[in-house]
Amino acid sequence: MKLLALIRMTLRELAAKATIIILAAISTIVLLGLAAAVSTNVTADGTVLQMFGQQASPPLAEEQIVTTIRGLQAGLAGGLFTGIILFGIFATAGVIPDALEKGTVDLYLSKPIARWELLLGKYLGAVVAIFVNVLYFMIGAWLIFGLKCHVWDFQVLLATLTITFMFACLYAIVAFLAVLTRNTAVSIILVYLYLFVLGPILQNREATLYLISENTVYRGIVDGLYYIFPQLDAMRAGGAKQLLVQGMDWKPFVQSMLSASAFFFGGAVLLKRRDF
Amino acid sequence: MLAISTSHLSKTYTSGFRGKHQVNALQDFSLEVESGQIFSLLGPNGAGKTTFIKILLSLTRQTGGSAMIMEHEVSDDRARLAVGYLPENHRYPGYLTGEQVLRSFGALSGVTGPLLQARTMSLLELVGMKDWRNVKVKKYSKGMMQRLGLAQAMINDPDLLFLDEPTDGVDPVGRAEIRDLLRNLKTRGKTIFLNSHLLSEVELISDRVAILDKGRLLRVGTVDELTTSGERYQIGIEGMLPEAFLVEAAAKVLTFSQTQSSLTVDVGSIAELNALIDMLRRHQVSIVSIAKERSTLEESFLNLIKREVAS
Repeated sequence: MKLLALIRMTLRELAAKATIIILAAISTIVLLGLAAAVSTNVTADGTVLQMFGQQASPPLAEEQIVTTIRGLQAGLAGGLFTGIILFGIFATAGVIPDALEKGTVDLYLSKPIARWELLLGKYLGAVVAIFVNVLYFMIGAWLIFGLKCHVWDFQVLLATLTITFMFACLYAIVAFLAVLTRNTAVSIILVYLYLFVLGPILQNREATLYLISENTVYRGIVDGLYYIFPQLDAMRAGGAKQLLVQGMDWKPFVQSMLSASAFFFGGAVLLKRRDF
Repeated sequence: MLAISTSHLSKTYTSGFRGKHQVNALQDFSLEVESGQIFSLLGPNGAGKTTFIKILLSLTRQTGGSAMIMEHEVSDDRARLAVGYLPENHRYPGYLTGEQVLRSFGALSGVTGPLLQARTMSLLELVGMKDWRNVKVKKYSKGMMQRLGLAQAMINDPDLLFLDEPTDGVDPVGRAEIRDLLRNLKTRGKTIFLNSHLLSEVELISDRVAILDKGRLLRVGTVDELTTSGERYQIGIEGMLPEAFLVEAAAKVLTFSQTQSSLTVDVGSIAELNALIDMLRRHQVSIVSIAKERSTLEESFLNLIKREVAS
């Protein structure tokens, strides 16, 4: 019950912030655009994909049109993931530092809740808020592709879980940084630094960091550093394969879950040791 | 039963490279507070009062000694089950209404369902905030925030209530209401631990008071014990002292100060006081009152702190 109360408070906090509303508004605009753009037309030669009323594909067999729509859905989910990473982190990064501010943290911690519960409640509140946003978008996309293209693909709805999971993995880093710095701006800067600088360098370490030295210990450290963080690119590729019904590689998801758990645990330990 | 018990408690804050700068916020601090009392902790700024409360609430960890509340180690989450806390400079989420604040923090205290609903309404009424229950707290004045904070601290019907400057920003009428409320809680067996700079208020409601300075406990006792200044008595009389009395008093090297209706005298013992009374009666002086002179809590506090600084 206490955890639920914390999640509910966090959802109220995020609802009160304009950022999460803007995220929902952007989703609505994209969905309206999608609804206006995409449709199919059944002809004697097959089904034609139309964009804004213009023919966008030759007449296709039913299987081909399903594959094409799945490609569109995968692209859309990829775009949503990027949007969630950029804007979702920005919208939710303040949740934990705000709770740890003087005058607020005293109120929380004077209650019979453990510090890790406070961190978990805030963490889950942010993840649930993003889940609701992604679900809203994905249900909208599912309905649009179903009603306008007659492709009812449940994989789109499953992508909600995949995208939320990827966000949750990244948000564990945000939670750790938030406890470490107790500063929203610094947390955002550091996580974006990882996303746009450190992450890509580690992802392409063979073409970058490996060039510095051939020493096996050094390269082992570089590899270790890569595996410490959630494997966002590998998960994104895995999510796209899921939408294209090409099977699922669970390895990056499991590795990322372990990595996220380690970051969350680190944040909880830091929080437990901190004086307020 | 002891509501609070600390033994040789200490807290050292360190800062700088390798903890080079150290501040001893609490030193060898031992204190016991019985249940059902209003207990006040006094001290100048930086004395360690808030650090002490924070250790008891496990917001800060002690560097030495032990502390228990309601017979649980402070590090045990169960210790806070029956505790309410009104922090100084508390910040409630501005997006919540007064009612939502009580419901949210009530749920965090483990109160749910119809009981939470009933307590929320009765507490809002008790602190005079019922009409404001649906207004967002960002629109509340300082005094209203204090009232809401008090209600929040009581939402789990705690046995032990920590109040840090509870009347800060509250008008005189509101302060009197809060005092009545605290007295009422005491009659219900609750323990109230008060941290306030308003010594006149502390004097009005506290059963026992502790004075803290530079992290050390200087004195602890009842308000009477702290405000009674040595063996000084004030004797109320009718009319002027007769000349013969003054001559005899001078001969006995008796020193006293005199106003129109009273004289104040320092005596070495009760026997000496009785001898003086006998002398007054012998000279036909009509005595209307005899009272041991008291200083205010503020005067006692300032004297104690001055002596501490001097030493």
